[in-house]
Formats: sequence, C-alpha cells, structure tokens
Amino acid sequence: MDKCLCAQNVCKAYKDNQVLSGLDLKLEHGKIYGLLGRNGAGKTTLLGILTAQNRLDSGSVTYGGEPVWENRRALDDICFSRELSGTQYSGTNNFRIELYLKAAAMFYRHWDAGYAERLLKEFSLDRKKAICKLSKGQMSMVTIIVGLASRAPFTFFDEPVSGLDVVMRERFYRLLIEDYTETGRTFVVSTHIIEEAAGAFEEVIFLDDGRIIEKAPTEELVSEFAYISGLESEVRKASAGLEVLNTSSVGARTVCAVRGVAPGFAPDADVDVTPMNLQKVFVALCGHGDEM
Amino acid sequence: MRMDLSDQALIYMQIAQMIEDDILRGVYGEDDQVPSTNELARAYNINPATAAKGINLLVADGILYKRRGIGMFVSKGAVEAVREKRKNVFIEKFISPLLREGAALGLSAEDIIAMIRAKGERKDG
Repeated sequence: MDKCLCAQNVCKAYKDNQVLSGLDLKLEHGKIYGLLGRNGAGKTTLLGILTAQNRLDSGSVTYGGEPVWENRRALDDICFSRELSGTQYSGTNNFRIELYLKAAAMFYRHWDAGYAERLLKEFSLDRKKAICKLSKGQMSMVTIIVGLASRAPFTFFDEPVSGLDVVMRERFYRLLIEDYTETGRTFVVSTHIIEEAAGAFEEVIFLDDGRIIEKAPTEELVSEFAYISGLESEVRKASAGLEVLNTSSVGARTVCAVRGVAPGFAPDADVDVTPMNLQKVFVALCGHGDEM
Repeated sequence: MRMDLSDQALIYMQIAQMIEDDILRGVYGEDDQVPSTNELARAYNINPATAAKGINLLVADGILYKRRGIGMFVSKGAVEAVREKRKNVFIEKFISPLLREGAALGLSAEDIIAMIRAKGERKDG
C-alpha cells in the first residue's frame, strides 16, 4: 500500500498572478521532504493543491493513481496542517484549542487522541484558550499537534516552526524524527529556517517562481556544490568543466560558487575549496543576484 | 542531552567518523553492538536514512558487520581497519595542507621536517 502522491503539469493563477506553472512533483511514501522557497515562491499554494484544499487551473494531483479532489479515500490519508491566524473569514478566531482539536479528530481518520494529549502537555498549552488569544509560537504548536496527531500517511506542515523559539524548534524536529522512526510516514515541511532543519530532510524540494528547480537527496545535492577562491586565473583553471553559478571578487581575489564537484575534489590549481551547506546552496540557486 | 553535529561537513560522514572515534577509544570493542540508525537519528535529530548511510559506509569498509534482525556490530580487527583508513585521511587532511601552507611561507619539506622534529623533542623533554 505504498502509494505515491503525484502532481502533473499543475498550473494555478490568482487573477493575473501565475503562481504555479506546469509543476510536476512525485512524493514517495516514507520520506521526510523539506520544501524550500523564497517568499511568494508558491509553497503554500502548492501544499494546498497537493492536499485538495485549493483548486488548480489545469493539471492533476493523484494519490495511488486516483485524483485527490473530493476523493474521500485519498483525503483520509492526507493531512495539511495550515498556519493558524487570530482571525478567520470576517471575524475573530474564537475557537478554543480543544474545539479545534476535536474538529481535527473528526476530520482525520487516523487521529491519535492520546498522542494529541501528550503533545498538549509537552507544549504546556491551555486547552481552554481561544486561538485568537495565542501567541504566534503557540499557534504554530497547535498546527504541529494537528499534523503529528493526524497520523496521516502523508502529512504536510506549512512553516511549522515560525514564531517558535530555538528550543521549541529543536523539539519540533525531535518529535518529527521520533514519530517518523516509529511510523515511517511521509512528511513535507516548508521552512525558511533552513540550516537547523537540513539534517531532518531526506530530500529537499526547491520551489522557485512557481517551478520546482531541484528535488534531490539533501546531502547528495549539498556535496555537489562548493566555493572556489583564489587568484582569478587559478580559480578559472580550477572551475574548468564545472557549472559556475556566480562569481564575485574582492581585490585580486575571486570567489565563485560552482556545481558539479565530485567527491574528494582537489583541483590542480592554487585555490581554496570550501564546502557549502544547504542554506548556501539554496541562496546560490534561488538568490537571483543576492548570491554572496 | 543534545549532541550537536557541525553543519559544515556531510552528516553521514560525521556519523561514520564518530563511531570510528569510539572504536579507536575503546568505547565499542570487537563484537560490541553500536547504536541503531533509529537511535542515532533520535540522538542527533537527523533523518534515519542519513544515519543509515553513515553506518553503511563503515560496513563497506569492513569496520562494522550486520547481524540480521539484531543490529550492527564491530568487526574483528576494526581498530586496525580504522587506523589504516585514518592514515590515508591524515595525509590528505594534515600533511597536504601542511606542505601547501609551508610552500606559501617559503618552507621546503626538509624545513618542515626539522620543525616537526624540534617540536617533538621539546614535547618529549
């Protein structure tokens, strides 16, 4: 029953704003994916469409070969824990936490009430408190509880750590890994705080301007990239045959970001080679001019 | 306890290196069981697939072996295997940069050897 969630040629526009343009994506069972993209790249729209909470203009999203849209069998296995806000529709979000969780329990077929209780305690949340009275971080905690306790085989988190302090962010990734080692379900997590999350992601997906520009195992991807620095002529010699992403110079010293580095890369030139981390790779690929 | 990994080197390599360090230090002896991928994943907040990659690296090098359904164990002669492997890394990681830095300072290999000897004698005496 290892089903995949697949998006094919998905397009979505809000009026004149083309958010997703011909996007293809295949999510496999049993992986933690990191979804990375800059502000306005289309992450939330993509998550909404993959989980049949947003309509698409053209293309398809299927789960185990069946369309997800209004398909109970597919949606039973999918949870999208959306970001909460203090207002909803036209009024204040007066829902108490306990009511919100009760609604989630009715909605998600695999809901684990005991797990939700444990998480409420772990986060020291007052179940009687109204959503609109919560801090930004506490709202994130509620969305984390919903996502984790849903026990859905495909669970999507949109910025689950936004507003959380560093201790709580680490705790979130610890909870995520713990649950993953027990259940082996699929998680897709979008975040802007890249480096501290990098180790949790088996694969990363880079969304840039409505397109997926990269989807690869995290460490394999990162190890392809490096900075080469030194005298310009030496840097040019060392980077021959590699994809040069960008170049900058400080005085006579040139630094260029390259891709296509083989393991144990040791060019025959007088240069320094520095590895990148995931955050640097992200900036190199999605920075559009702000690379260094 | 939260242990931390550096974000500079590849995580699976760091996992492999840590286990190697523990084997060299005698934390794990021959035929001792090492932590499972899930234990490593939870201890370091990393994806189990990444931890498994580090473990598999050591299996490929003959440093660990697998007992089906039980876990990963330290091979016979693992200390020697780690030392041998580390010697090659030592050249790459320490000797090559030493010679490069020396050349930048106008030091020959002979000069550097003399400096190492002097340093070693001072330490012994």
